[in-house]
Amino acid sequence: MTFVFILIIIAIVAVVAFIGMYNRLIRYIEAVNNNLKQIDIQLDRRFKVFQSLIEVVKKYMNYEQTTLKDVVKLRNQAQTASKQGDQQAKIDAENQISSIAKGINVVFENYPDLKASQNALQLQEEIVNTENKLAFAKQAYNDSIERYNADKKSFVQAFVVSCFKDKLDKTFVYWNLPEETIKEREDYTVKL
Amino acid sequence: MSTSFRASAVDWREQLRKNSIRTRWVIGIFLLIYVAIGVLLDVYLYSMGWVQLVAQGGVITPPTPSQALMDIVTFQVVPWATLVMLAVAVISIIVTFKMYDRLMLLGTEYVEATPESDSLELKQLYNVVEEMKVAAGLRYIPKVYLIKADYMNAFASGYSEKSAMIAITEGLLKKLNRAELQAVMAHELSHIRHGDIKVTLAASVLSNLMLMAIDILFYNVIFGGGNRRGVARDSNVLLIVIMVVRFALPLVTVLLMLYISRKREYMADAGAVELLRDNEPLVNALLKIHHDHEGHAEAYAAAYNATPHDSVRREAYIYDPVKMGIEAATSPSDWFSTHPGLKKRLAALGYKGVID
Repeated sequence: MTFVFILIIIAIVAVVAFIGMYNRLIRYIEAVNNNLKQIDIQLDRRFKVFQSLIEVVKKYMNYEQTTLKDVVKLRNQAQTASKQGDQQAKIDAENQISSIAKGINVVFENYPDLKASQNALQLQEEIVNTENKLAFAKQAYNDSIERYNADKKSFVQAFVVSCFKDKLDKTFVYWNLPEETIKEREDYTVKL
Repeated sequence: MSTSFRASAVDWREQLRKNSIRTRWVIGIFLLIYVAIGVLLDVYLYSMGWVQLVAQGGVITPPTPSQALMDIVTFQVVPWATLVMLAVAVISIIVTFKMYDRLMLLGTEYVEATPESDSLELKQLYNVVEEMKVAAGLRYIPKVYLIKADYMNAFASGYSEKSAMIAITEGLLKKLNRAELQAVMAHELSHIRHGDIKVTLAASVLSNLMLMAIDILFYNVIFGGGNRRGVARDSNVLLIVIMVVRFALPLVTVLLMLYISRKREYMADAGAVELLRDNEPLVNALLKIHHDHEGHAEAYAAAYNATPHDSVRREAYIYDPVKMGIEAATSPSDWFSTHPGLKKRLAALGYKGVID
């Protein structure tokens, strides 16, 4: 009698633990999904901010029209890739927009009058802010993937995942730079 | 201390859960203390025969204190003082959670930073907070206030992510660079994320609320009553009562402060490093704040003491001026600090022996 009773208790504890692990994994997966959308929000914000920035910059100098076109083109590339579900192509396109942002900052360096003005300080703050937010959104995304992967591959959780493979077993790509870009960035030195 | 938090530094979710429980305890103990005081008052009034005097208009033989207690506990008589104290306690709790932002900023001059702020500094402050919000994955951006004061300090408050606020002084904003400001904001956002703000708010405002009310009364008696004649003797008596209460009430504080986590500053420091992936900006910011306080010790002591109701912010400050011997301890609650020393915090951040 007591033996059956103990068995029942063990079974209840096991079921509760199982449900807990299942729910936690679901929570982690949704956190990853949400954080990915947060990156999209920041990318969208950056696109809009930079478009208006370029408009302002154009007033000060005949900044090449091509930059704006480049941004629009890359943006479209990113969106098509996103629709097709090609995460890597999307990441590549967005990374190229980042390099254009650096170009705008360099332009400021060449015009001391512009740089000294309050407007330029505000623009620079805007660029730093935009890029920081994007970087932190990517960081949060990667962190959530790390948390999910670590939990998924843990000892008991791995068993839970194997029971509900289609619901719990997701593969997320960490936000990263392609190999050749990493090499390029690594070799980069400041030329004055 | 510096060794005990190491294993749990990453696990802020556990801290969040504990803080929710602690908040309930703080509110429960607060109610209990007030009801206990009320019952004592009732027993006193009843056993002295004053209640009967008011009720029946004649003197009857009053019961013994133990008989009085029995009558009150079994509701043979209406425990008026208890009901009044209970009402005061409930109103205090409602006021604390409704008006926490004004209470926490009480006695200071402040402006709110928004994306529409005119000055670049305010805008930058707001931007930095927003960046840290993105990094921490919070759903809501806290309200950001700038306090017009020269000393360098910052604190966070509120009772949930949604209602949270961060306030920093002008001195801090002016003297830190962007990265250091970011580190301080990451520290404050970690307090919000860990749920520290709720406990700190409940404990420090609830224990200080009566004190604040009495202080306001106190300033009125001293500065407001001077132009009328004949109040001098009355206000002397009142003054003595206020002085006694002012030193008796902080005992409540001590009980409530027990529930404020002693690890919270270490956890928030660790949280800031987690968000920034760098410990140097926070260390630099803490050192700058510390050296700045040392360099202007007298001026800042005067500034802190001239700011009314500063004790309510004390447990929430990133840098505790009383602990560091800059601000004078003005009430007994100041003797019971839950702030860790700066030296230990820096050691925990990996910078051992940079200050003595």
